[in-house]
Amino acid sequence: MTKEDGILAPEGSDSRRLWAAASFTRRQLLLGAGGLGAAAALAACSPGGTSTSPTGGASGTPKRGGNFRVGVIGGGSKDIFDGQNFVVFPDAPRLMTAFETLLTRDENFRLSNDGLAESVVADTPTQYTIKLRQGVQFHNGKTMTADDVIYSLQRIGGDKTLRGHTATATWDITGITKTDDYTVRLPLKTADSTVPDTLAAYYFGIVPVDYKAFSGDPSTQIGTGPYKLKSFTPGQESVHERNPNYWREGQPYFDTVTITDFSDATAQVNALLAGQIDAATDLPAAQVSAVQASGKQVLESQTGWWVGLSMATTMAPFDDNRVREAFRLIVDRQSMLDQVASGKGQIGNDVYGRYDAAYFAKLPQRQRDIEKAKSLLKDAGKENLTVDLYTADLTDGMVSMATVFARQAKDAGVTVNVKTLPSDKFYSDEYYLKVPFSSVYWAGRPYLDQVKLSGLSNSLYPETQWAKSDKGPEFEKLYNQALETTDEAQRTEVQHKMQQLEYDNGGYIIPYFPSKFDGHTPTLQGLTQAKTTLGLNNYGYGFRTIWLA
Amino acid sequence: MTWFRHGGIPAFILRRVLLGILVLALVSVLVFVATQALGDPAKALLGRDATPERLAALRQELNLDVSPFEQYLNWAGGLLQGSLGDSLTSQKPVAELLSGRLINSGVLVLCAALVAIPLSIAVGSWAALRREKLVDTISSNLMLVFASLPDFVVAVLLVIFFSTTVFHVLPAISPVPPGQLPWNNPAILVLPTLTLVMTVVPYIARNMRVSMIEVLESDFVEMARLKGLSERIVLVRHALPNAIGPAFQSIALSLAYLAGGIVVVEYAFNYPGIGGALQDAVANHDVPVVQALAMLIAAVYVVVNLMADVATILVTPRLRTRL
Repeated sequence: MTKEDGILAPEGSDSRRLWAAASFTRRQLLLGAGGLGAAAALAACSPGGTSTSPTGGASGTPKRGGNFRVGVIGGGSKDIFDGQNFVVFPDAPRLMTAFETLLTRDENFRLSNDGLAESVVADTPTQYTIKLRQGVQFHNGKTMTADDVIYSLQRIGGDKTLRGHTATATWDITGITKTDDYTVRLPLKTADSTVPDTLAAYYFGIVPVDYKAFSGDPSTQIGTGPYKLKSFTPGQESVHERNPNYWREGQPYFDTVTITDFSDATAQVNALLAGQIDAATDLPAAQVSAVQASGKQVLESQTGWWVGLSMATTMAPFDDNRVREAFRLIVDRQSMLDQVASGKGQIGNDVYGRYDAAYFAKLPQRQRDIEKAKSLLKDAGKENLTVDLYTADLTDGMVSMATVFARQAKDAGVTVNVKTLPSDKFYSDEYYLKVPFSSVYWAGRPYLDQVKLSGLSNSLYPETQWAKSDKGPEFEKLYNQALETTDEAQRTEVQHKMQQLEYDNGGYIIPYFPSKFDGHTPTLQGLTQAKTTLGLNNYGYGFRTIWLA
Repeated sequence: MTWFRHGGIPAFILRRVLLGILVLALVSVLVFVATQALGDPAKALLGRDATPERLAALRQELNLDVSPFEQYLNWAGGLLQGSLGDSLTSQKPVAELLSGRLINSGVLVLCAALVAIPLSIAVGSWAALRREKLVDTISSNLMLVFASLPDFVVAVLLVIFFSTTVFHVLPAISPVPPGQLPWNNPAILVLPTLTLVMTVVPYIARNMRVSMIEVLESDFVEMARLKGLSERIVLVRHALPNAIGPAFQSIALSLAYLAGGIVVVEYAFNYPGIGGALQDAVANHDVPVVQALAMLIAAVYVVVNLMADVATILVTPRLRTRL
């Protein structure tokens, strides 16, 4: 029922389902409120600010102390606390306070050796050696060693309910050994050059031997992270206090961090405006101006996150590539971005993995071409085509993108009936992966990681049925080749070939990559315009790179 | 048996209590049937990991492998023994999960009632006294406006006015930190209470006004005035007690409405009460929690109506003597 997603658990929107009808009006009303706010701000000559350019704060001197209060949308009784798992949206920042990964991603979405491992090296395509950082202590004072890392990796490999489990399919879990206290050898069953990517995913946290998920006692949540868990009430809030023995010099800066669940974006924004929280992550684009008008700042980030449309390449009418190409040519990308996301984002080219180093930016930008679309449809014998497009209010802009597409398709003589489903229906056996044309969204992730999830014959979420299309076998061969290639440049070349195939024949329409917005008080410093996966610069990389001035 | 039918007020209360229990029993059937429509909880819990073996194992664990009739008996039996079962999502007893939230919601409803009831009686009576004068016209129209605004609109307007845009004097959201009680920080209760007050006052006040007007026009009030009693005595001693009887019914309905309508207000203010729990439980197919809350809200309706009927009888001598 739930689509796994690196950053997003659809449950977040699931719990909002009940309120879909009411929240529409509420949102409308808030737009009005925004206008009122703007007027009031003007009257008061208050300087509403935007920090779309890096906030001056990044250059300031960090200041210690304070309780940082952040409001996160989603969550409920399903909230968990586990160093290697997440279910709903607020689980991610919570996890990051206490647990750290072997590798990390820097602000340009490049892998970095800044984590708990000093290096992760492929000895052969089927064996990796992990060298650990020395002198890192867990919250209880125990030193992190190879044993803890082996336990951590085996825990994910052995537990199907953990989000990272599928990524370990190529690993020889039982064969992981230590060569000394700070060196781990990870053998693979088949070649997999994405191991470093996997180890940098935030839900691959390193936990001590015999670690168990939270079940009532905060003191059991022992990690190496910058904060220790003080209290946690699912569906409400968690409090985290500074880890005095943290291994990075000087960090973190806050005394405590309080993470609060919000079920309603309006309440979240109100709390920010009234000063009851210091930051509100993942603002709907429509609320950005209201937040700015009231003197708070908005951080706009490009993250590779995307919302799009999926055409199943094995189902009529999309089993004919001419129809798929026609649909991709129908889209007026800029106009859609303007209408759906207030023009905030980067134009897309139907290929994902936007901030992966291997993103094929040289592919010619696909432009709207109604004449060509019409002639392609005519050639395919699909003039005056009528299709149903299934969508759900799972993330900001998902439903409106579908309706805008329907409008744009009219110009090519195509009738698109938008069917909006409740989110659990959308992911039910009845619809998900069963309908030819539907909305999709994914978090920004490395290209091959996304391929693994949705582009292969053994993928969990084969939305476009790409692997079963006539180009599927060729694509999968290239994928395996990429896994066997540890040389960066060669691997990039293979990935470009894969993207070319998807660009020419694939089933996704990716009109744009929307910006993500976080609202925060002007006193919050240290934020940069990072291309990180999660809001607020990956929550300040676990709330350690940001501070309150 | 004769006592049961003609036993005066005690017998009347007993009859109504028994009737209330019967109503709750019927409601329990409806709630049970309705929650079956949420779908198979086992399937919802397992999601896409639902293999037939795991489904069967979970169904057995949740006692879903018996007939619906037996399931109902198990559940209703548990209710009678005071056991609400375990939540499906968190595996904890429902009572333990909801107790804190129940207190929070109860406090909110109580605050709203304590403000709304005297206020609406006063406003209604005052409008009746100044009938068709400026005060009455203004208050009647104002009441009509408030009555037509949905509660979440009222909430948004109040927040804009008091918290975020015009003034910055009150908290915009009302968090109650776990383990604390709502009155530890009374400021957070103001706007939710005000929202609830503004949604129920128009209804009660308008009823109060009508019944007060009726009483003020009746012969006994005329008589009291002719006797030369002061207007104050006429109002407080003679008019008010007679006018308030019919108002009790609207107060009861309003209180019952508060118990359910609080869902929206809690949502708007991120207040951790039963409303949030109900929303969450429905979204997660957490059947035991939905059932417990539905029964609870039904019980509030029954109890409040019972109290209103008794109160009406007590303040209305002509009804009392008929029993």
